Amino acid sequence: HPARDATSAISSSWQLRPVPGLQVPLRLPSDRRPPVRRFACPASIAAASAAASPAVPPGPPLAPAGIARVYKPRLSPEAMKEFWRLSGIGPDHSRAKAADQQAEVPPEIKRLYQEALPPIVSQDYRDPIVESLHRAEMMRRRRVINIPEFHVGSILAVSVMDKHAPNKVNRFVGLCILRRHTGLFTTFTLRNMVDQVCVQIEYELYSPSIVSIQLLKLERRLDDNLLYLMDAPHSHCTIPFDMVPEPYSRNDPVPVNRERVRLNPPPWMCKWHLHGYQGIDLEHLYSYLSDKDVAKAIEFSKAYKRYDLLDQYLNRVPVPDADYAFKDIFIQHQELLQHQQQQQQQSSKKSEVISKLTGTV
Amino acid sequence: MATAPHTWLRLVPSCRSYSKATRLHKIDYPWKDEPKPHWVRQFEARRVDADLTPENRDWLRQWRLQRVRDAVASSSEAAAAASPLKEPPAARPLWTPRVSQRCGLVGIKLGILPMWYRNGQKVHTTVVQIPDQRVLRWVPPEDLGNYASLREMRPYRLNQSFLPRWLTQQRWGLQLVGAVPADPANFTAQWCGIFKAAGLPPMRKISRFLVSPDASLQPGACLGLHHFRVGDCVDVVARTVNRGFQGVMERHLMEGGPAAHGSTKFHRKMGSAAGGGGPIYRGKRMPGVMGNRFRAARSLPVLRVNTKHRLLFIKGFTPGPPHSYCQIMDSWMLDVRRSLDANPPPMPTYFAEDAPEGGYPEDVYHPDLLPYDQPLELPD
Repeated sequence: HPARDATSAISSSWQLRPVPGLQVPLRLPSDRRPPVRRFACPASIAAASAAASPAVPPGPPLAPAGIARVYKPRLSPEAMKEFWRLSGIGPDHSRAKAADQQAEVPPEIKRLYQEALPPIVSQDYRDPIVESLHRAEMMRRRRVINIPEFHVGSILAVSVMDKHAPNKVNRFVGLCILRRHTGLFTTFTLRNMVDQVCVQIEYELYSPSIVSIQLLKLERRLDDNLLYLMDAPHSHCTIPFDMVPEPYSRNDPVPVNRERVRLNPPPWMCKWHLHGYQGIDLEHLYSYLSDKDVAKAIEFSKAYKRYDLLDQYLNRVPVPDADYAFKDIFIQHQELLQHQQQQQQQSSKKSEVISKLTGTV
Repeated sequence: MATAPHTWLRLVPSCRSYSKATRLHKIDYPWKDEPKPHWVRQFEARRVDADLTPENRDWLRQWRLQRVRDAVASSSEAAAAASPLKEPPAARPLWTPRVSQRCGLVGIKLGILPMWYRNGQKVHTTVVQIPDQRVLRWVPPEDLGNYASLREMRPYRLNQSFLPRWLTQQRWGLQLVGAVPADPANFTAQWCGIFKAAGLPPMRKISRFLVSPDASLQPGACLGLHHFRVGDCVDVVARTVNRGFQGVMERHLMEGGPAAHGSTKFHRKMGSAAGGGGPIYRGKRMPGVMGNRFRAARSLPVLRVNTKHRLLFIKGFTPGPPHSYCQIMDSWMLDVRRSLDANPPPMPTYFAEDAPEGGYPEDVYHPDLLPYDQPLELPD
């Protein structure tokens, strides 16, 4: 394997990561030991054994001094803390506490740069240099265009270059129903009604033909994607093209829209009852299904995946990798803010010079 | 099999969208795609020396690695540039049209990065890293007949094919290149002996390139990132992704059988293997291991060069999974060769004296490529 040598200046070796976010509590050496059962020895038997075998005076231990260190290794508290930090569990098995302890990066970075996380694929297909290149190019693109924070359920207005349009710019307003892939491959899909026709457009977030991305409403839904809106009444995704942007504050948590959508009667494009959607009115949905399908849907919703360790391991980003990615992005985010300040100063200086030359104030 | 089939080169598709007609008609033999020299065992089992303490074992390993680094550094372009006693390569050969063929580079495929052209079109680039590599040996064309691995005639007999022209015409010689120097304790003494004559530490990968004598390099010469320039078209040769044991429908795009309508146990099978009581001919397409074969992606331009991480950004997709070796060389396509006559590359390879004043910037882009920190400006 070419990536395992210290002498070559190429990607470092991959080390086995501990399983993050285990729900099952870990058996630690100090606790969970079965109590030692001690029996009261009858006095007659104790006296007989003492008489049979002469009492041996307690002397020095027969085993060598270092045997406990070799055969009963104990982890130092620092090593245990590091293990808990990496695995995302703490002494009281609470993941949230450990995550806060890890977070040297402000939470707004994780909201703004969701696509900075490395992709969830086999380790053979991941490379740290390529991922760092993706992050660097993402931040370079953000010097040209402002990409706001948005989630699935938010309403966006996207302007792209179009040589056939009258103003050479094509503007589309829509509800974000899907956001997928990572890094420079990130895409998002907007859905809207245009002349009573449903239109869905998928944009590449870092394509240079995008002139501007304007956030009209910041909102989150209960699901990762809203593909079920294809089988829902059109009122749910009708957004006026002249919608006024609603103000939002970055410090506030993202508002969650907990509405439950009533789908149209079947046939549907997909078996929506088998994907664990929370944003669908489930009672109304099950009324369309046979008893067998309802049983299947309820079986799915029992959340066996919580106990599927391999599923958890394969479908989440390791905590150290996510940490590293966000820290890298945070440093570049601060450089981006400095660059934006410099640009503002330059533009204000330009406007001053122009006003002096033209005599305007 | 009345006539000998031609040994034409076609790209074997790895997905079902390609037509069946573009499959190769070559017959396998066990040592066909083995990396040469396959007659020398490369890796040595790690010796557990019970007399050494762990600290001393680690110290000795660091000492070995430092010696490897020193041996590699002494022959690097930086050392050559810094030494006051350096001799410039005497009479660097000129690029001769229709004659010159330069050595190539060994690369490690890392992944894929999307980029955009200045007209708004998207292009996927393969990121290939150029590790430390040195020239090992030069085998002149007249000695090709004596070269051990080229004297094996069985594959040509089995395939009923002619010898390749580079072997019969003897216009090109073999250039051996070693890449990725490593700890000598990992390798056998026989493997280390291959590098001893060139005064180099043992390396993990040996590749060979077909090179014309005027572009030959002497053992120990350094091959670097700037051997290729932005805009050069290259061929990338690598082993394809190993897809494991596959059936005929996946491997040879056969039809299989009907899924329904009374079909009894005939859904994904081959069917007949021969006809009329005759024999099954050698080369019959059957299930087997798919992939893990050497294939070439031809005429791919280099769109960007990154000097910090030693990366080449090559347009399109190359064979092989990430972190696999690949060979990169000047393209053999005739239109690329003719274009090189007008704009010859550094011959026989890049040396420090070819560097522009002020050195190279961290990123060198192709003029058609749009860097991410520039806005797109479409013509009206």
